[in-house]
Amino acid sequence: MAKRSVCKFFAYALCILLSIIILLPLGWIILNSLKTNPEMFMDSLALPESVQFVNYVNAWNKGLYQYFGNSVFVSAVSLIMILTLSSLLAYGITRFRAKGSTLIFLIVLGGMALSEQVALVPLFKILNATGLYNTYAAVILPYIAFRIPFTVFLMRSYFISIPTELEEAAIVDGYNSLQIFLKIIIPISKPIFAACAIVNLNFVWNEFLFANVFLNDKTLQTIPIGLMTFKGDLRTDYTTTLAGLVIASLPLIILFFCMSKQFVKGLTAGAVKG
Amino acid sequence: MKTKKRTPYFYMLPGVLMVLLFVYIPVLTNIVYSFFRLSSYSAGQTFVGLDNYRRFFTDPVFPIMLKNNILYCVISLIVQVGFGTFLALVLDSTLIKGKAKNFFRNLYYMPALISLTAVGLMFTFIYEPNIGFLNKVLEIFGLEGHSWLGDSKLAIFSIIAMSQWQFTGYITLLMVVAFQNVSQDYIEAAKIDGAGPVKRALTIMLPLAKEQLLVCTIITVIGAFKLYTEVYATTSGGPGNSSQVLGVFLYQQAFLHDDLGMAAVTGVFIFVVTVALSILQIRITRSGEI
Amino acid sequence: MRKRSWKRLTAAVLASVMALSLAACGGGGSGETQAAAEGETQAAGDTGAADSGEAASGDQITISFMHRFPDEPYNSFINAKLAEYEEMHPEIKFDINATANQEYKEKIKVVMGGNEKPDIFFSWVGDFTERFIRENLVLDLTPYLEEDPEWKDSLIESQIAQYTTDDGMVYGIPFRLDCKLFFYNTRIFEENGLEAPTTWDELMDVCEKLKAAGITPISFGNQETWSASHYIGTLNQIFVPDDVRAKDYDPTSGEFTDPGYVEALEYYQALLPYMTENPNGVQPDMGRTMFTMEQSAMYFAELIEIPYMQADNPNLEYGMFKFPEVEGAPGNQEILTGAPEGFVICSETEHPEECVEFLKWFLGPEVGKEQIQEIGWFNAAKGTTDGVTDQALLDGYDTIMNATAMGPWLDNALYSTVCDEYLTAVSDLTNGDVTPEEAMARIQAKAKEAQTLVATGATEEE
Repeated sequence: MAKRSVCKFFAYALCILLSIIILLPLGWIILNSLKTNPEMFMDSLALPESVQFVNYVNAWNKGLYQYFGNSVFVSAVSLIMILTLSSLLAYGITRFRAKGSTLIFLIVLGGMALSEQVALVPLFKILNATGLYNTYAAVILPYIAFRIPFTVFLMRSYFISIPTELEEAAIVDGYNSLQIFLKIIIPISKPIFAACAIVNLNFVWNEFLFANVFLNDKTLQTIPIGLMTFKGDLRTDYTTTLAGLVIASLPLIILFFCMSKQFVKGLTAGAVKG
Repeated sequence: MKTKKRTPYFYMLPGVLMVLLFVYIPVLTNIVYSFFRLSSYSAGQTFVGLDNYRRFFTDPVFPIMLKNNILYCVISLIVQVGFGTFLALVLDSTLIKGKAKNFFRNLYYMPALISLTAVGLMFTFIYEPNIGFLNKVLEIFGLEGHSWLGDSKLAIFSIIAMSQWQFTGYITLLMVVAFQNVSQDYIEAAKIDGAGPVKRALTIMLPLAKEQLLVCTIITVIGAFKLYTEVYATTSGGPGNSSQVLGVFLYQQAFLHDDLGMAAVTGVFIFVVTVALSILQIRITRSGEI
Repeated sequence: MRKRSWKRLTAAVLASVMALSLAACGGGGSGETQAAAEGETQAAGDTGAADSGEAASGDQITISFMHRFPDEPYNSFINAKLAEYEEMHPEIKFDINATANQEYKEKIKVVMGGNEKPDIFFSWVGDFTERFIRENLVLDLTPYLEEDPEWKDSLIESQIAQYTTDDGMVYGIPFRLDCKLFFYNTRIFEENGLEAPTTWDELMDVCEKLKAAGITPISFGNQETWSASHYIGTLNQIFVPDDVRAKDYDPTSGEFTDPGYVEALEYYQALLPYMTENPNGVQPDMGRTMFTMEQSAMYFAELIEIPYMQADNPNLEYGMFKFPEVEGAPGNQEILTGAPEGFVICSETEHPEECVEFLKWFLGPEVGKEQIQEIGWFNAAKGTTDGVTDQALLDGYDTIMNATAMGPWLDNALYSTVCDEYLTAVSDLTNGDVTPEEAMARIQAKAKEAQTLVATGATEEE
């Protein structure tokens, strides 16, 4: 029994140490986001003389609100489309035993191994040629396409686990396949939808490469690009930048802590079964 | 299910079409581009055969990039996948209480939710030699500080360390999820057989979570070779070329030097490496599923 | 039961979509106005007026305007001036875009490759703009200047000369004048019994004494590599004869084999022991902050940094001196490093007249006077110094006016791959990883490659 409490002690010690490693830098960022620039320069570990909430106001007014709105719009549209197309695709693959569905799945899954960088230059040319460059669609379309493979991968294993009896009963009731999808599959797949939503939101909200190249207009750019503009060349307003970083990071963190139960439940259900 | 033969394909069509149009076609086009001298703002387009490839492979930066990407890959595999999985086992064990378990798991995942640009900017502050957090903390302990991002030998390691800080918890969460799926029956059976926690982990948990482990390694390896934002937001490849990586090089060739052909070659290289490594890993862990 | 939960889900999705799109609209004030402006131009197009490329009077004209000053107060100043112009000219609407320095260099190249090129954009003198000129993307302003002698005369000739190609094409109008000078802390100099150096040996002497007194002589941050290029550019002017340099900076004939280039790097190396430790890990503006917070005695600064210094530490007492002379060096020591920075018009704009008219005002004396008062930057219009009381600004202005020649920023003068190699090599040199000879060998290789790149780029086969 003594051995067990020693193990327990070390397990807790490790977990707490890691928590500190994660939290301390974040704490330092928040601390300095509440100071003036000279205060930070003189001693970045000291407490501020008076708390500078004004940094947050400045960061927000410096255009962050606009980037924020764009990010919300781009993320919402992308997310809805990713979930819709992926679930339809996974449904088609898993519930019909259609010829070639394994091949189609493999082709889609192969997309997971293809990285955004490889498609960057041709996509840039395509978007230019089609006049989509520098529109919301310029990032939304690639986001959808690049996120379908992983999402289908997660949804497929969930859909496979749904017993066929439910559908058979529905067919007796005269449901067609779309009705079955809408009224049976989706309602019992909520956890996997929640998990996919968070995983994809995390990608879309934070994506930098495509957004940086395909969006030029400030009125269209998303938060990650907006953050980079905080870094001036000859003068970075350090503390305001830090405040901006905090503002930009909070929404997803809050959302995650609110939804973490469903998220883990969905991932567990969608994960490859051992 | 009794439906028309075509029906399932209608469900698959939109998604497949998107993937083909915006993933496969650009990737294939990229291969074609790699044989041309291309510019984004001039009409010039000259077939140059393998010249871009020659320039790419003879560029003195090429071995540096390769070394950095491999370093990132290996360290990430050890820390994120290796240590991350260990951490998941600890969290999954009975050593940590249920409530604390969820708390730690969520906390470790949190950095993965912060955007890469934000983390990059944060760490340029943290690594700043004069006022940065890291040197200030070392100072308290009487240790010597470093110019973390300014030292050619340290820069890439500082960036890699930042990524481990951010993504270890992500893998931990994925693995915790997989361990939860391991049937209690197996574990109970092993307990009855007298297997200790370490043995249980090695003989039951890990083998049964093999598929998830494979997914995690593939994600990590691919991530290592498409590494871009982390470097772009901190050193942009500097000092010198000491922290240059394939992803940033590609971007700079395309949009700083307007040498789209060279960028395409870099893309082809990333493509070949990631696909080959993915296939290799699947082969190694080969099993019926997927 | 199931039915109901499906309904709830739909309702939830719909509600969230609406909430999100509302948030998106409400979030971006100028987003709306931009959309509105676009709608109006589109309407103009529908009536068939846009065919000729020139909108009939009374129609809305949208001029897209890209600049690289997203930081305050410059961003606000530019926005305010553009808004003022919109008020004076109700038919004109601006679509403004601002990106910071390093990103701007990439962004503008991406944009100029696309279909939505900006009408007016910020661009540096040197090869940075000339590569666009080679692709016929920049409007020749010479005829407009000839047409309007009053405008031409109102601008400082030496500065316009910077925005002129070797063939005599004026392609840009300066927005701010700039040059590089050593700033020194007069209090620290007095306390140590030092005087501003005029020769290299004196500079070394001053540095040695300061270092002995435990003071960082020169603060310097080179995490962004353009920073060192200001030293190197100046030293190249000192050690490499004018004609050789001109030949080498031209991508079609660059070789960089003159021994002066190596010598320039050696002199740069000689400065390093007296500079901030590990400059490659320090942001350039951190170097200035150290100087303004009196933690270093000298700082090689741009004129336009004066307002920043005064904002950070209004009590700082400082003087300026030119980069010291090196006795017997073969180059041109008269050159003052620094170039004006300004705006050019895209040759593909549908509204060249309107753009030129706007630049006449925006970069002219009237705005120039407000500009120096409000943000501390001079533009290239004559007679903007009235009412300026800040002696540091006036001194800097005089230095520029008295300069017989100015040298462009090295990082804008060079072809991009050569420039990149140059800056990277200097960054390695700063860390002591390569020797000056090795650095130059790398640059020579890139220069050679650039020659072929420029040559193949020119053979257009469409």
